[in-house]
Amino acid sequence: MRRTRTGPRDLSREPEPQQPGRILDARLHLLDRQVLDIDDLPVCTLDDLELEVAGGEPADRVPAEDGRIDGSVPVVISALLTGPVLGTRVFGGRPPASRWYRLPWAHVSDVGTVVHLSVRSAGLDATWLERWTRDHVVGRIPGGTHDPEGSG
Amino acid sequence: MIASDLLDTPVHDDAGAHLGWVVDLRFVLDGRPSTYLAGARLHGLVVSPRTRTSFLGFERSDVRHPWPVAPLLRWLHRGTFLVHWPDVARVPGADDDTDRGRDPVVVLRAGYVRYEPGL
Amino acid sequence: MKSRLLTVALGILTAIGGFLDAGDLVTNAVVGSRFGLSLAWVVGVGVVGICVFAHMSGKVAAVSGRATFEIIRERLGPRTAGLNLVASLAVTVLTLIAEVGGIALALQLASSVDHRLWVPVAALAVWLVLWRVKFDVMENVTGLLGLALVGFAVAVFLLGPDWGDLGAQLVPQVPAQESAAVYWYFAIALFGAAMTPYEVFFFSSGGVEDRWTVRDLATSRLNVLVGFPLGGLLSVAIAACAALVLLPAGIQVDSMSQLTLPVAQAGGTLLVAVVIVGLVAATFGAALETALSTGYTLSQYLGWSWGKFRRPAAAPRFHLAMILALVVAIGVLMTNVDPIAVTEYSVVFSAVALPLTYLPILVVANDPEYMGEHVNGRAMNVLGTVYLFVLVVAALAAIPLMIATEAGG
Repeated sequence: MRRTRTGPRDLSREPEPQQPGRILDARLHLLDRQVLDIDDLPVCTLDDLELEVAGGEPADRVPAEDGRIDGSVPVVISALLTGPVLGTRVFGGRPPASRWYRLPWAHVSDVGTVVHLSVRSAGLDATWLERWTRDHVVGRIPGGTHDPEGSG
Repeated sequence: MIASDLLDTPVHDDAGAHLGWVVDLRFVLDGRPSTYLAGARLHGLVVSPRTRTSFLGFERSDVRHPWPVAPLLRWLHRGTFLVHWPDVARVPGADDDTDRGRDPVVVLRAGYVRYEPGL
Repeated sequence: MKSRLLTVALGILTAIGGFLDAGDLVTNAVVGSRFGLSLAWVVGVGVVGICVFAHMSGKVAAVSGRATFEIIRERLGPRTAGLNLVASLAVTVLTLIAEVGGIALALQLASSVDHRLWVPVAALAVWLVLWRVKFDVMENVTGLLGLALVGFAVAVFLLGPDWGDLGAQLVPQVPAQESAAVYWYFAIALFGAAMTPYEVFFFSSGGVEDRWTVRDLATSRLNVLVGFPLGGLLSVAIAACAALVLLPAGIQVDSMSQLTLPVAQAGGTLLVAVVIVGLVAATFGAALETALSTGYTLSQYLGWSWGKFRRPAAAPRFHLAMILALVVAIGVLMTNVDPIAVTEYSVVFSAVALPLTYLPILVVANDPEYMGEHVNGRAMNVLGTVYLFVLVVAALAAIPLMIATEAGG
């Protein structure tokens, strides 16, 4: 049956060996997915991924012999990015690293149809605008903290 | 480096011939173990020879519906392959626009291997 | 029985906001007074189409917990989804403007105070419901009061038409006094009214608000199968009233107040009162639906916290977005534009938004990662694909037809 194959077999392509861990494709499984915190509160949409050389240093700052990284060094996802990075994915260009909001990969607890974090949204830089809006606008309107599911 | 530095970038072989575009990055969760998920190692680049739009991923899954959207997109992406990260000789850096006036491009090593991209 | 009736309130409210918002109420009567029932078939085609896509979006929401615009962003990426966001927001906010204007006009009829003075009051009333009222209370009250529009169907019976004659009008044909371009312009307008993008945003997000899970798939289906056919039936009833009374009398409909003329002739003051309750509830319900959809689409595209089930302080940007939409509505209405005429231009934006909304729903409804065993069956896929094709054709034809006919002239 055709449908049991994963793609049209092509003589010029080698079969991919079995990998020792779960496989995630950036666009298919990570980018543009909703990020939820430990209480299932929405944090952001996953706008981009920060990659760095495994072992620590941010990839941008590790010069290979001609000043760039390449396939000779292992690279891992160091953080999920959100914020102004979105604008550059839509319109092109590249924001300065200081304007990325980073959510470290170590805080990711699960990747499914959403990306789950193991931390609370309240302490994250990525949600400062949410808190600002709450504290300076919405929270100041009477009834802003009223629980609609509570007393009705 | 961020994911969008690589996504949609043209891919050349070591002789400078155009092979396609990076349509996705493949990660394998086999890195440093932690409380929840292991580190996500960049395993390879998914390269489509025909188009740089890859939003639906039918060329890598066994989803065949809805007809005709799925078969059409799968056909558009025929020939899509995976190159492993160690076969990558050069990736565009953040400083590329000032760097030797070259367009950002991913260059593969001589003798790179094309793997099947299916998930 | 009561609970069974209330579980379909979301579907009824969604359908009312789509088929029977202020612009469509007038369009239905215009169509009836000019074309008789010769365009009723379009409503049937539209009802089946919105049922197919609302069913899929509700199923995705129930199974995966993901509302429609999250799906759109995830599948289409930030650029294409952003284009859809801009177009969808344009459609939704234009409709919201018309609804707030519609409420103000209704208040003017009741009070003879200038409607511009009522605009801020109407917007404030809408906001208070968004701010304070529980989602299920909101959907139940507006859904049930909107049912008063059944008065139009009652009026058709009371008018005692020659049923054979009325049935004969159902055959699709261009009336002698109208041009084919105008006929098709209104056909697409009716089809577009049935399949507005904000209906699926609202329906799927409402499913999340009502905390649907896999166990609620039957509820979702029931909502779809009751709500949208009912909405379609009421819109045909309005057209039929106009066809029976206004068409023979040669009256051209250009405002909401003329909607009640056939009802008054059929059932007197009492039925008019019932129908006016329905008109106000439908307009108010559509205002709520479009205001909420504005918040839902923006929040889901950008990953903000959203939902009326949360305290406003726990979804601040969602609430701020809706407040800003209402402020825009007030501002536009203060410039004295005709609120109903505003919605005619939403056709242009729908042409962009509709295919980009329905394609991701169709794709994700087939994705086992989201849907598990609940992926679409073959029949649903065939229908979905056919409608996607029809939508693209209608969307492409809409703009030249609008220009050629000067919006139905």
